[in-house]
Amino acid sequence: MRVGDIAVGRAGDKGDMLDLTLVAADDASFSLMSQALSVHAVQHMLNKVVPGPVLRYDLPGLKALKFVMPEALGGGVYATLRPGLHWQKAAIWLLLDLDIDPQTLALCLHNSEASS
Amino acid sequence: MNPHKPVYRIGSGAGFAGDRVDPAVALAASGKVDAVALECLAERTLVPAIKARADNSEAGADPRLRRRLTPLLPAAASTGCKIISNLGAANPRAAGMAIAQLAKGLGVSGLKVAAVEGDDVIAMADKVKWVKPVTGKLIGAHAYLGCVPMAEALEAGADVVVTGRVADSALFAAPVRQFLNSDPNALAGALTVGHLLECGGQLTGGNYDTLGGPHPGNPLSAADFAALGYPLALVYADGSADITVLDGAPAIVDALTCTLQLLYEVHDPSRYATPDLVLDFSGIRFEQIGHNIIRMSGARTSGPPPTLKVAGFIELPGFIVDCEIGFAGTGAWERAKRAADALRMRLSDWADEDIAIDLVGVNAILRAGSLSAPPPAELRVHVSARCQDAEMAQQIEDEVYALTLSGPAGGCSVRSEKRNRIEVLDGFIDPALVKTQLLWSQS
Repeated sequence: MRVGDIAVGRAGDKGDMLDLTLVAADDASFSLMSQALSVHAVQHMLNKVVPGPVLRYDLPGLKALKFVMPEALGGGVYATLRPGLHWQKAAIWLLLDLDIDPQTLALCLHNSEASS
Repeated sequence: MNPHKPVYRIGSGAGFAGDRVDPAVALAASGKVDAVALECLAERTLVPAIKARADNSEAGADPRLRRRLTPLLPAAASTGCKIISNLGAANPRAAGMAIAQLAKGLGVSGLKVAAVEGDDVIAMADKVKWVKPVTGKLIGAHAYLGCVPMAEALEAGADVVVTGRVADSALFAAPVRQFLNSDPNALAGALTVGHLLECGGQLTGGNYDTLGGPHPGNPLSAADFAALGYPLALVYADGSADITVLDGAPAIVDALTCTLQLLYEVHDPSRYATPDLVLDFSGIRFEQIGHNIIRMSGARTSGPPPTLKVAGFIELPGFIVDCEIGFAGTGAWERAKRAADALRMRLSDWADEDIAIDLVGVNAILRAGSLSAPPPAELRVHVSARCQDAEMAQQIEDEVYALTLSGPAGGCSVRSEKRNRIEVLDGFIDPALVKTQLLWSQS
């Protein structure tokens, strides 16, 4: 089950910090998402692309999860070597495109392009 | 006072310096809002303003001031709508005088314009507690001001308030403040409204992928995006609010769009520091009370923060160079990959952390997180590098250009840009040290 089928999301940044917000469509989706997207599992996926630790904030009243990576964007938007500025607006797809196995709650990113 | 009647109506006229001009005009002309606030100042836009003012003491306001306000001033004057904006950038005083002069030229007379000064704290940089040591040339230091100076200007009769660096949410809370209950949670609500509205169309369906991605019947059409309604809020005395758009404007205002914006660029949602109050969003409720109308309530505060945040701008030596070379036609992907590999060999003496070589259209943005897809018909090899000086930047550009003669066939459409290396450094300052003042102009 793709995360983007049960939740909407948006990426933001402040200085070195990348923040990723997911809001679930309903309580069942929030529960599934909360269990599958553990800090450990999310950090494992995100560290393929951006460095540093992940903090998670739970907002059950809003059916939302926030993942904050304080060191992901070293030097902020000016320092990026991606084309142009503000590449991180696309970073939410790193979470939206994750598949959750409904049996094991394991995460995988299908069809990942490993070459650089 | 009827608790079920809004005490103030505020619209969001812009969410960044380059944002559309027409949404603010539509809101101001509608008669449906008492004020429009326009957020026009990012860290990215403050840097060129600081440099412009360093060259010319009359410069440093938002260069889009004239284009943005020429249609807005008459529209706002026709309905008595106030205008609040941080488009003063690095020179609110000059912006205030320019606005009064522009209004006079447009035949809008008697307009009272207040400029808020005091955010520039470069002269007190040694009193700022920076989060890490300042290495490089500090070219600017601006404290985030709260809503009080703007509110005082409005209470003294200002029609237009122009500022430099203030908290974005404060632009929206400033005109509301005098109508709120004295309970701090009411101001917390108004600041939360400001936080929701400060990104303009991002609250109402912009930069928003619906559940499951775009699919028929749900997403906004191209025509809807082209005419997206910007948000307005009807604020109640207790700081709760109804969030909506002008009647009939294309938009999505629901609990999902509002929650995404509530949490956007927030670190700890139960401790979101603004210059006026530390906000707790954990108890916020969004209730759909009509088509594209959301009722927001439940904002709380733990009180004012002990310090004001300061944004410091440090100029680092050298440049970041960002170049691309295109490939098209049969075999474009193979030729592009070979061109990228040739560049990696030519530039192998560069440290890995100072250079990136990738394929635009394949993996330049999400890198190892990119999805695999059929090779695009056209794509670009992209190179960015950190360069100590202009000569090194030139070397990178030349290596990319040289592929047109000595690389795989058909290297074309080369483009290149250089940007200065700027670091934004956060710091904190004692609020008692930051003195603000109002400067008045009249048309």
